[in-house]
Amino acid sequence: MTLPTDAAEATALTAGTEPVTRPAPKKPRLIGTTSWYVVAIFICAVMIVPLLWMITIGLKSRTAVFDIPPKLLPHEWTWSNFVNGPKAIRFPRLFLNSMIITALSVLGGVLTAMMAGYALARLRFPGRKVWFYLFVGSMLLPGVVGLIPLFQLYKSIGWYDTWLPLIVPAFLGGNPLFIFLARQYFLAIPYSIDEAAKIDGAGHLRIFVSVMLPLTRPAWLTMAILAFQASWNDYLNPLVYLYSSGKWPLSVGMASFVSPFAGKTPDWSYYMATNLLYMLPPLIIFFAAQRYFIQGLGALGSTNQK
Amino acid sequence: MSRNAGSDVKAAYLFIAPAMLGFFVFVGYPLVRSFYLALTKYNGLTDPVFVGLGNFRRLFTTDPAFWPALRATGYLVVLYVPLSLILGLALAMFCNQRFAGVRVVRTLAYLPVVLPAVATITLWKFMLDPQVGLLNTILDRLGLPTSLWLQGSGTSMPSVVLVMLWGVGGTMIIFLAALQSVPTELYEAARVDGASPWSVFFRITLPMISPIVLLQVILQTTAALQTFNQPKILTNGGPGFSTNVLMLSIYNNGFPTLGRIPQLGYASAQVWVLFVIIIAVIALTAKFSSLWTYSDTSD
Repeated sequence: MTLPTDAAEATALTAGTEPVTRPAPKKPRLIGTTSWYVVAIFICAVMIVPLLWMITIGLKSRTAVFDIPPKLLPHEWTWSNFVNGPKAIRFPRLFLNSMIITALSVLGGVLTAMMAGYALARLRFPGRKVWFYLFVGSMLLPGVVGLIPLFQLYKSIGWYDTWLPLIVPAFLGGNPLFIFLARQYFLAIPYSIDEAAKIDGAGHLRIFVSVMLPLTRPAWLTMAILAFQASWNDYLNPLVYLYSSGKWPLSVGMASFVSPFAGKTPDWSYYMATNLLYMLPPLIIFFAAQRYFIQGLGALGSTNQK
Repeated sequence: MSRNAGSDVKAAYLFIAPAMLGFFVFVGYPLVRSFYLALTKYNGLTDPVFVGLGNFRRLFTTDPAFWPALRATGYLVVLYVPLSLILGLALAMFCNQRFAGVRVVRTLAYLPVVLPAVATITLWKFMLDPQVGLLNTILDRLGLPTSLWLQGSGTSMPSVVLVMLWGVGGTMIIFLAALQSVPTELYEAARVDGASPWSVFFRITLPMISPIVLLQVILQTTAALQTFNQPKILTNGGPGFSTNVLMLSIYNNGFPTLGRIPQLGYASAQVWVLFVIIIAVIALTAKFSSLWTYSDTSD
């Protein structure tokens, strides 16, 4: 295992502090570089091959999927799977459901966490510290504890089989991690800024909306991305709360596609074609906003470092 | 500071009110309520009937599915947590190097984490199919022995863990952030001293990131104890009870399908067993953390 030396070497080389030592390690480095790329290619393959496999299945005919031994590439390319597959689970409907649920959860989760973070970081009120610790502490509370009582609560107020249990919690501070991140971010903004705004006659609402929200864009964009992932990918909550298949989001719809109900074999080629469409929104967001992912999670790593 | 304290307090409570209400509804209430329900017989329709510790007695003595569920959960944790930490750290160390294309590796390694769980788990379910799955096809072409994967009672749990490990990029990204915060002077000093790679790893890298390792042990263990999606979608607990983890058992008792009567009190008792295990893991890890995490006084 030669990782640490290479690390030191790499930093020394790029820093360019000791040009004299450069020629010496040249030969072993060449061999090192080759094995390095073998490992790198292996890692990439493990991550990407399943996705490529998914796409080829999505392009095979419904019977070719069950060929033994399986062929790696389809011999007839069945593009119609991308039409018939989505039709089979009423994809447009479930897609719209997912979109509405996710949009509202993102809005609620980000807004209320930013508000709480603003209060905790920049306003003085009795119990400020206590509330901060309560929020941070609640991050450790396992979600399973809420499963049954909340199910009963929602059922008793007529929210079972509606989207409300999936949306309303977001508007109540939803994710304590977001409150924590928002507070950290607000703490870093100079206080002279809101003093100046106050002198100009701005109230707290005005300061929050027109001064703080523009300044904290990276923070709430990161949260919005994470909230999107969480809501779009959530399976357990919609599974528990939604009975009518017309109200399902894609996660539950896709899972029902392959559950061996009534002993029927799932249509894997239909499924894989549709699966690709289901993955598309998070994929697009991921590639569009990569740096926010790394930044947001990096901040998480370093704040916990203390 | 010449602030208007009165309006500050009013504004503060207005800003934080939604989160405060959320705390009572989603933390306080479920804690109290689920503890009470654990002591009752409750089908969700008629009123709960208090049975004291009856649910727990039934769990530990007469329920034939409970010990297997505990065993399956333990097996999953013991298999998944160390592997995810070791692989995650190794991957992070690899991706912490400078070489052309390192960003591609990093991005691809993190990619499975952002994809919907249902989408990736079902994909793996198909790849693990013994007859037409990709894994057996590859093994077969390489002349290696194939496996029943999810369908064999001995291989089902390792297969579930294999699927979970595909998401190791989540652990990697946290370790990567930690590795990047280690001062490079330490590595330079070690290089000048001619330290071996192993001693650099064990005397510099690992001690410097030990607080993050500790945090990861706690987070990964508590998450693994609550694993639901993978066993639910991949195997639905089977074959036999081999992958019927506690979360699945709770779900099946609390939200049964095919017209069976929900046993919400009984499921709540299982929730509390799981809750106590999680608290114990956190407490024990934190208690023994001083033995192996880095602090300024240790050498």
